[in-house]
Amino acid sequence: MNPFKEQKTQELFDRKLITETQYTQVKAYRNLEIFSLHAELKLFLYLSVLSFTTGIGILIYQNIDTIGHVVILGIVLMVTAVCFYLSFKQSKGFDKEHIHFENPIYDYVILAALLLSCIFIGYLQFQYTAFGTHYGLATLIPTAIGLFCAYYFDHKGILSIAITGLAAYVGLSVSPQALLQNNFYDTNTLSYSAIGLGAILIAWALYSNQIALKKHFTQVYLTFGLHLISISCLNNLFQPYWFVFAMILGTTLFYFYKASYKYQTVSLLIFTVVYGYIGANIILLKIIELIRIDEFLIPFFFLVPFYFIGSIILFIKLIKQFNKQKTQ
Amino acid sequence: MIVYDKTIVQNNELLDEAQSLHKAGFIDKVQYDTIIKELVITKTHDNILVRALFFILGVFLYSSICSFLALISLEALDTNYEYLVFFFAIVGFLGTEILARSNFYGHGLDDAFILGSQLTLAIAVGIATDFDELVMAAIITGTALVSYLRYLHLSLALLFCLALTYTLVFGIFELDESIHAFLPFIMMVYALTLFFSSKTAIQNLATAYYHKGLLLAQNFTLILFYLSGNYLVVRELSVALLGQDVAIGSDIPFAFIFYAFTFIVPTAYLVLAVLKKERILLWIGLLSFCFSVYSIRFYYSIVPIEIVLTIGGAVLFALTLFTIRKLKNKETGITFQPDRFTETNAFLTAEILVTSQIGSIKPELTTASPMEFGGGDFSGGGSGGSF
Repeated sequence: MNPFKEQKTQELFDRKLITETQYTQVKAYRNLEIFSLHAELKLFLYLSVLSFTTGIGILIYQNIDTIGHVVILGIVLMVTAVCFYLSFKQSKGFDKEHIHFENPIYDYVILAALLLSCIFIGYLQFQYTAFGTHYGLATLIPTAIGLFCAYYFDHKGILSIAITGLAAYVGLSVSPQALLQNNFYDTNTLSYSAIGLGAILIAWALYSNQIALKKHFTQVYLTFGLHLISISCLNNLFQPYWFVFAMILGTTLFYFYKASYKYQTVSLLIFTVVYGYIGANIILLKIIELIRIDEFLIPFFFLVPFYFIGSIILFIKLIKQFNKQKTQ
Repeated sequence: MIVYDKTIVQNNELLDEAQSLHKAGFIDKVQYDTIIKELVITKTHDNILVRALFFILGVFLYSSICSFLALISLEALDTNYEYLVFFFAIVGFLGTEILARSNFYGHGLDDAFILGSQLTLAIAVGIATDFDELVMAAIITGTALVSYLRYLHLSLALLFCLALTYTLVFGIFELDESIHAFLPFIMMVYALTLFFSSKTAIQNLATAYYHKGLLLAQNFTLILFYLSGNYLVVRELSVALLGQDVAIGSDIPFAFIFYAFTFIVPTAYLVLAVLKKERILLWIGLLSFCFSVYSIRFYYSIVPIEIVLTIGGAVLFALTLFTIRKLKNKETGITFQPDRFTETNAFLTAEILVTSQIGSIKPELTTASPMEFGGGDFSGGGSGGSF
């Protein structure tokens, strides 16, 4: 226990920044000496679900030829069914508002159920080609189950899995790692689909906001939309039609700048600003290329620090403005 | 010693406390906002994304200043380029001082200059001494300590701990070879000494300025103590550093001590953490326990990994479920009830990120095959025209 915490509370009280009732409340609460293992135990549940499903996934993959397929399918289906049954039993039913299980354990049970059903469907397709050559269907069904679970059980993690499923359906890999490595959208058609999907996600987020359907999902949709559109636009800035993409990027970022204020999300603002800055610098480099820099190398290097100071001041202003309206 | 105005540092601490009271629901937003307006504080960014953004910008700024200086001085300098790097370090220290005096603290910009100056100084010393690690580590120990005392950055406290440890290790390597074999035990004694000295220092603190840094040092020593006796670390390091050969069927000297140590220490940490209700110790205990399991599996893998994962997952789930049942209705002491003062938001965000990484559905033929859960070896990538 940090002794300075109590000292600081005392000081806040001495300076009349908190009232006496508040002070006694805090003191009484601290005297309970609560040592909550809430976060840790939930993390264990999460890890256990992840390692269990990963283990099963590898086991099935390795023993695909040796164990009877029906046995594997039966076991996976049974565990999945149990998980679904438990979750449905505990669920309060669908609600447009934010709901949660009374016992947080079931968040992880339903996650396990979804991951296992993805394995089940994947196995069906892999072994029996149940969906024939309609590979899209093999992606869409887990996605549909995911979307249903995300909305029914109000689960953001499952929602993000479902969105990666949607992206996979149009041919994109949008897991965070893939986004970081920027290893998607090699081809133009794919980047067009990325922009299209991003726009659809944003539109859906706006619509659900309007009809008050799971308003807290908005941020997830917007985050995916922002990254999808921005990254594919930035990649296309090196392509022949870069001007069109610069326009799309500009419009999108302007929208997200406004959206970050509207939904009070600092992460949206930061990524908007970062993508805008990268885009602006790419265009700036294009201009510098045009005016043949070799002859002005020294003045150019002299100006660079000032350019960064200028951009830092600009960023500080942006953040300050955002924080200001937040406190108002 | 501290560069910042003391009242401002105190205000920072007051605001931290007010923020945790606000998050715990003891004071409402209006009151919290008035407290923010009331207190004059440093230019600080709490949001890690914002801080990272300014850190990157700061790195750009620092390196652009250095490259400009290099460009203009290269024509004047014909030889002795290495002194240029010293000059870069001086620029870094100057920048740090200027930013600190303009009240930047944990802003991101100042982080860039603080870490950049230490790094360039280390490189400069390295160039001047032909990369003599002992001298480099010793000098960084000194500068990191002085900078920490002046700028109060936790990263500097960590750097000090690391550099001091390196200095000790390299110092021992300078000594007679017969002493080398006792390196693990020397490190244990060193960790314990540092632990108890930081503990007494914390108890004697009158003000909170250096509390976090000392706490960091204390927990650093706990990790160091564990690692210096961990079987995997000792064995691998004695092969790598001391050139010992471990033949099949034989083992390192004092092996049984290290085997015991590998499991006794994490268990002791966990028990102590629960008894003393220390969260950081609990985490160190958990992580070191995981590392112990890994250490033993590294040499003696009896069961294949997928079975460990499956059974381990199931057992962990059952155990956690059991613990939650036990703790669910307790109102005081150790409990499953969420503590109003602990933050869980960071965990939730991390969980969503990890979930969408591991559970992500990928395009291509492997779309929804069982392989995708195989630990991310199958990167889907763009699938081209197959859709």
